[in-house]
Amino acid sequence: MDSHFKAPPAYTTRSGIPVKASYGPDDVPAEHRAIMGILPGQAPYHRGCFAQGYRTKSWRIFQLSGFGKPEDENERIKFLLKNGETGFIMEHDRNTADHLYNVDHPDVVARREDVGLTGAVMQSVRDTHICLDGIPIESTYGHAGGGVVQHGPFALAAYWTVARRRGLDLSQLPGTGQSDFFLTYLGCVTKQQVPTAAGLRLNADIIEFCGEHLPKWVPVSIAAYNGGDTGLNAYQELGALIANAIEYLDEIKRRGRMDVKAAASRCGGVNFRTTLDIFEDASKLRAARKMWHRLLTERYGVTDERALRMRIHVVTSGSMMTYQQPFNNIVRGTLMALTAVLGGVQSMGVSGYDEALSVPSEHAHQMSLRIQQVLQHETNLCAVADPLGGSYYVESLTAELEKRAWEFVELIQQQGGFLASLDSGWMHARARDNQSADFKAEAEGTKVVVGVTHYRDDASPFLVDGFPGVNDAYDVAKERLDAVRRERHETGAAHALKELEASCRDPQKNIMPFMMNALDADVTLGEIGDLYRQVWGDWQTPELV
Amino acid sequence: MSAPARRILLVKTALDGHWRGLSVVARALRDAGFHVIMGGMITGPEIVRAAIDEDVDLVGLNVGGHAAVVERIIAELRAARPELPIFAGGVLPPSTCRRLAELGVETYPPGSSLEQIVEAAQRLTGVEAGKA
Repeated sequence: MDSHFKAPPAYTTRSGIPVKASYGPDDVPAEHRAIMGILPGQAPYHRGCFAQGYRTKSWRIFQLSGFGKPEDENERIKFLLKNGETGFIMEHDRNTADHLYNVDHPDVVARREDVGLTGAVMQSVRDTHICLDGIPIESTYGHAGGGVVQHGPFALAAYWTVARRRGLDLSQLPGTGQSDFFLTYLGCVTKQQVPTAAGLRLNADIIEFCGEHLPKWVPVSIAAYNGGDTGLNAYQELGALIANAIEYLDEIKRRGRMDVKAAASRCGGVNFRTTLDIFEDASKLRAARKMWHRLLTERYGVTDERALRMRIHVVTSGSMMTYQQPFNNIVRGTLMALTAVLGGVQSMGVSGYDEALSVPSEHAHQMSLRIQQVLQHETNLCAVADPLGGSYYVESLTAELEKRAWEFVELIQQQGGFLASLDSGWMHARARDNQSADFKAEAEGTKVVVGVTHYRDDASPFLVDGFPGVNDAYDVAKERLDAVRRERHETGAAHALKELEASCRDPQKNIMPFMMNALDADVTLGEIGDLYRQVWGDWQTPELV
Repeated sequence: MSAPARRILLVKTALDGHWRGLSVVARALRDAGFHVIMGGMITGPEIVRAAIDEDVDLVGLNVGGHAAVVERIIAELRAARPELPIFAGGVLPPSTCRRLAELGVETYPPGSSLEQIVEAAQRLTGVEAGKA
C-alpha cells in the first residue's frame, strides 16, 4: 500500500468483527454450514424470501420526499413517480409534525423560517388532500409519513380520510405507516414526545385497526436504520430490531384483541440501513430474515409462510454521505444500493448526494432513482437470487452477525426490554460508544474518506449549496390554519376531539376510529398534540451526552 | 492552582432532534477540559438567558435549519453580551457559512475534524492548547 496511507491496526468489519485475508469451508460454523445449501424462497429465508428473486418482482423504488407547502410536496412526488419511482413517501415538517404543534406554537414561531425545510406542513386533512392531489393512491404504494410515534395516528388517519372521501375501499388500499421507536426515542429525539408506554399503546392500536380494516396496509414499520445511523453497529441494529418486534408482539398478545400470529405477519415490513461495508451489510440482511423466522416460529408459534418472510426496505446510510465533493456521493449511493440488492431487499431509497446539506434537490432525487434503475436494468443483478450464497466469507459473517445479534437481544431483555432500554438511556449509551470511532480513525490516519481526509480540493468548481426550498411555507400554513378555524363546524370539531380524548383515556378502546372522526371534523394537529400532552404528559428524555 | 475550566453552552437552533453530531462534539470538548452545558432545543431568548445564567465563555450553535433563524439568535446574543464568542456546526451549506463568517461566527460543517473544533474553542476562549 502507498506509504501515504496507514494500514488499520487490525482488519475488521465496520462493526469490529475481525476478518481474515481469505476464507475457506472451515470458517463457516457447522450449524450454519448445514443450511448453506437451502435455496432462496425456502425457510429460514436467509437466502431470500422468494425463489425467483427479482425475476418476478423487482424492488420498490421508494424515496423520502417532501418540503415546503403541501403543493410543493405534491409536485415533487409527481416528479419522482414520473421518473420511475414505484411508491412514494410523504415527509412532514419536523417542527410541526414531530412535535404535534400548529405553526402558531411559540416554539415554531421562534423558528418560523425553518418551517417546511424537511417536509410539508400538514395541520389538517385539508393539507393532506392538497399533498395527494392527482396521485392515484388506490394503485400506488404510499407511505403516509408519521415516522415519529406520536405523529403516526394523525398521518395515517389523514391519508385514510382522503382515501375514504375519494370513495376508495380501505380494505384494498396499499401502503405503509411507520411510527418508529428508533427514530423517535433514539435517533431524532424530539423536544416533546409521549412516553414510550403511550407510544406502544398507539402502535398497538394502529396494528389492530389495520388488522380489521386495512389488510393491505403495513401498520407500523420498525426502522433500525435510525439506530444504525445514530451509532448502533450492524449486529446491534439487528438485535435491537428484534427486541423492538418482541415489544410490539408481546403487547398485542397481552391485550388479547388480535391474534398474535396475524399481528406478526403485519409487523414484518422493516427497515435497515446499508453502509459502505458491502459484505457485512449484505450479510446483515441475510441474518435478519433468518432471525425473524426463528423469532416468529419459536416465540410466537407462527407457521404461516407469508408471515415468516421478513420484507426489508433499505435506506442507504445518510451519514456516509459527505459534505465535501458531494458528487462523490453518487458513487457511495450506488455502492450502498448494490449492497442492498445483494442482501435481497424488497424496497429501497437511496440518500441524495446533497444529504449533508439539505433535503434532496430535484436533481439529487432524480439521481437516486437513476442509480436504482441502472442497477435494475443494466447490470444483470436481477437474474439470480442471493448471488453471495455459498461464499465462505459471507456465510461466516452471516452466522457471526446472527450470533452477536441474539446476544444483543439478550442484553436488551436484561435491561427490561426495548422500551426500558430507551427510557433508561441504556440504548443511547450503546450508540454513543460507537459514535466517535470514525473521527478517531480519521484523526489517526487509518480511515480514508475521499474528498474529506484525502484527495481534497479546496477550490472545487463543483460546489453544491443544497436545496433552498421555498420561503412561504410558514405564511401559507398560518393562513390555512386560520381558515380551518374560521370555516369548520366548531361544535362538531369539539365533539370529535372530546370523543378522541375519551378513547385516549380508556385503554380498552382503540383510538383510530376516533382519530378518523376528528380529522374528518377538521381537528388540527396542534389540538391533538395538546390533548396527548394532557393525557399522557411528556417522555422523560434520558441524558443523551 | 489552575484556572477554572472554560464554560461552553451548546444548543440546537432547530426543532430537529438528531443528536449524534452534537454528542460527538460535546464529548470532544469535555475531553479537552471544557465545562460543557447542554442547552437543548431552546429559542433565542432562552439561549441568551442560559448564556448569562451559566456565565459561559463561548456559545456553540448546532444548526439544523434556516440561516435566518441562526442570524436572529446571533443578533439576540450580541445585543445581550456583545463580547461573547459564538461558533457553529451542523447542517451548514456554503452560503450559510459565508453569511455567518460575515457576522464574525466561525463555522464547522460536516467533515470538520474534532481537533479543529477543539482548537477553535481554545482560541475563542483564550486558552492555550491543552488547557481549558
